Amino acid sequence: SVEGDAIKVYVRVRPPSEGTALTDGDQGLCLSVLSSNTIRLHSKPEPKIFTFDYVANMETTQESVFSSVAKNIVESCMNGYNGTIFAYGQTGSGKTFTMMGPSDSDNFTHSLRGVIPRSFEYLFFLIEREKEKAGSAKSFLCKCSFIEIYNEQIFDLLDSASAGLFLREHIKKGVFVDGAVEQVLSSAAEAYQVLTTGWRNRRVASTSMNRESSRSHAVFTITVESMEKNNEVVNIRSSLLNLVDLAGSERQKDTHTEGLRLKEAGNINRSLSCLGQVITALVDVGNGKQRHICYRDSKLTFLLRDSLGGNAKTSIIANVHPGSRCFGETLSTLNFAQRAKLIKNKAVVNEDTQGNVS
Amino acid sequence: MAAAGGGWAAVCEKFRAARTLSAVESRKDPETEPYRSKYSARALLQEVKQLLSAAEEGDEARLLAVRRAVLEYELGVNHTDTEELSAGEEHLQRCTQLLEPHRLSPDCVSLYIQAQNNLGILWSERDEIKTAQTYLESAEALYNQYMKEDGNPPLDPSEHFMAEEEKLTDQERSKRFEKAYTHTLYYLAQVYQHLEMIEKAAQYCHTTLKRQLEYCGYYPVEWALNAATLSQYYLSKQCFMESRHCLAAASVIFSQAGQVPSAEDNETEEDQQDLRQRKAEIARCWIKYCLNLLQSARKLLEDNVGELDPDRQLELKAQRSKEEDEKEKGRKKAVLFGTSEICDSVLAMEEKVSSVYPLDFQEAREIFLVGQNYVQEAKEFFQVDGYVTDHIEIVQDHSALFKVLAFFEEDYERRCKMHKRRIDMLEPIYADLNPQYYLLISRQLQFELADTYYEMMDLKVAIGNRLEELDSHTIKKINSLAQLAIKYYELFLDSLRNPDKVFPEELEEDVLRPAMVAKFHIARLYGKLITSDSKKQLENMQTSLEYYTFLVDYCEKYPDAVRAVETELELSKEMVGLLPTKMERLRAKLCPFI
Repeated sequence: SVEGDAIKVYVRVRPPSEGTALTDGDQGLCLSVLSSNTIRLHSKPEPKIFTFDYVANMETTQESVFSSVAKNIVESCMNGYNGTIFAYGQTGSGKTFTMMGPSDSDNFTHSLRGVIPRSFEYLFFLIEREKEKAGSAKSFLCKCSFIEIYNEQIFDLLDSASAGLFLREHIKKGVFVDGAVEQVLSSAAEAYQVLTTGWRNRRVASTSMNRESSRSHAVFTITVESMEKNNEVVNIRSSLLNLVDLAGSERQKDTHTEGLRLKEAGNINRSLSCLGQVITALVDVGNGKQRHICYRDSKLTFLLRDSLGGNAKTSIIANVHPGSRCFGETLSTLNFAQRAKLIKNKAVVNEDTQGNVS
Repeated sequence: MAAAGGGWAAVCEKFRAARTLSAVESRKDPETEPYRSKYSARALLQEVKQLLSAAEEGDEARLLAVRRAVLEYELGVNHTDTEELSAGEEHLQRCTQLLEPHRLSPDCVSLYIQAQNNLGILWSERDEIKTAQTYLESAEALYNQYMKEDGNPPLDPSEHFMAEEEKLTDQERSKRFEKAYTHTLYYLAQVYQHLEMIEKAAQYCHTTLKRQLEYCGYYPVEWALNAATLSQYYLSKQCFMESRHCLAAASVIFSQAGQVPSAEDNETEEDQQDLRQRKAEIARCWIKYCLNLLQSARKLLEDNVGELDPDRQLELKAQRSKEEDEKEKGRKKAVLFGTSEICDSVLAMEEKVSSVYPLDFQEAREIFLVGQNYVQEAKEFFQVDGYVTDHIEIVQDHSALFKVLAFFEEDYERRCKMHKRRIDMLEPIYADLNPQYYLLISRQLQFELADTYYEMMDLKVAIGNRLEELDSHTIKKINSLAQLAIKYYELFLDSLRNPDKVFPEELEEDVLRPAMVAKFHIARLYGKLITSDSKKQLENMQTSLEYYTFLVDYCEKYPDAVRAVETELELSKEMVGLLPTKMERLRAKLCPFI
């Protein structure tokens, strides 16, 4: 199917925090959900309509978010495809609630548990089912790692003592974090245990403007390896499931999502360190000419290169807060989500159009 | 003034403490409280402001206004640094209002420019680039006006809170003033880039780099990378002279990086690694330079079937000897980097490779060799183990260098050998590559390998045509090359199949042309296979026909595809018309009695 590889984008609108919007009725809201895939932003002078693969309004249940966003990805992971689920949005837009569930409780059993615990349950449910069907012919090995990207440095959340780690590539295994701890998993509960332990090691910060906000991207990766014995032939298949919690979008000055802001000269005046990024942007328009850009992608995009316009199934959940005070951030989140939809599996083949045809 | 004597000294002390907190201490703030020092600095600045308003406004009203402006500026920057834009804007606006009448005087001009720089940043954070542009362009104009009308080193804003004996030297003042202006240009470069005024943005980037060199305000590695990247912009505009100049300067400045002992004397392994990577990055920019120069020359020289056109060659050679470099010299003055010593090294570096189009094999080979050297240098760092994508990209460039060099080679046998070299470098990499993670590169390699075999086959046919009679060795060679080309085109086409191994009904736009070209080339290849077995020949013709028919049918079903493959489609239609008759004739020959 043609739509198969494009990134799927879901938008979820959280209910306004208690006491904010209800005081002045609908006037306090900056958007309304028109249907299950359109949203209207009350911008001035003209309201703006956005269309996505799915829009979850304030009443949508955790279960239904999971079924529309993640179920399919977990299934294709069992079939040997890589899958990635991103959560994006400003601090306070409900990312953690969507991904993990209500804070300060045992999310794993809570009725409001989020996408991640449900994905674990479903993945291990599918594995058990496969095992039952195939008997001893098929075996599975699940491993996970949990890393954090902060200030373009990589840290291992499963080994808080470790220093910065490096991204490397292997011709057979693709991109990997060199030296990241891998933990073997045997059940969904165990996976959740590992996740919550690592989650506590994340970097957060508070400023007088924002309440506590996460300043880093966290990437939880499950590797599913299946081994099937057919007579003498052994068939090994492996796939990755990445669950990514992005830093609050209001803090993402360093990535490409930021729109039009100017990069400031560094504190140390000698460094106009982002001049290179400006020039890079100039070179990008080079019409198909051979060029080399000296600046690598950000660590996050490099690590998830496969998920962004690669050989994988990817979903983005864009979380927004409906309050009119969040208008600016909501608009930029929706714009980001709109752009994400355009990311496709770009196969640039070096073809010589001058080729001799005759 | 009321706050004279000891009082004033205390004010200055507070102000200085605030600046230290903001610039130095804040970098050590814990991650959980990123703005702790900034908030303390803000409190101090407020105190200073209080003390100033307590001072009586007397005969020194202007002095007081300027001091207030300095404080408003510092508070403005402080608020924007801590994500409080509206408050920041108010302070900065108050600063410029206070200074408005005095903005051209030596004690205010620098502060005024810096306030406008910061208003530019602030408005860009609100996604209002046009507003940012007006502030920055007005800062630029003010600098120019001041330099024209006065030009003496102006006071640095911090001096307004300094005791007489601490005041800066003219040299230091000038340095700081020029730095503020460099920032204006740097922000303008970004503004123009956001407004998609690409050429202007590039020009401002270039000027920023130039000024960094002039005022020694740069880190060698960072500067070199920026210059190397700028060279790639010039490449896309086919400005080879400018591109080479940037690259030569990048290489020269980069070599300083190793010499300067770093601040923390014992360099870590990590830094060394980093330095090696940067060096390899610059080498890769050089590779692209050589490649583009060769490819552009080829475009100029080729005839309508892609071969070297000797008339055009003579024409261009005649033209070149006439063309004075005068024009170029004019352009050169505008972009020249560095002062005497650096400049000499840059020019020496430039000598090593031409920046004019090569017009024959000898000239092309010299550029090729330079490119090839940089390939080796780049590969030293970007080894396949650890840097798969980069490594393969470099190998692809190497292959592309051979490909374009082959264009200039007249001897077909030698040309064929060059293509063989490409195969030898690409095939082993392709064999190892896991398409689950490297689907795109894997496709590129399949296509390139197919194309290379295809080209070699064509060369062998051309060589064969010169012989009286095709010998069995040549026939075998032609057939095996054709088979290999078919194999890789088929692999490429297979990579487009969905998980259930079905070829897509409708091709995605980005693979449309390559997929159609692959089909077309396979059709041609089956037509070229040589066999004495007529039945086999008939089979090959049948396969060929099927592939041609695919093209014709597809374009009928999806007329949008026609644009992408016009020539191929035309020829396919012709073949679909011709082949059945030919096959009929062959069949008649096979069974003459039916």
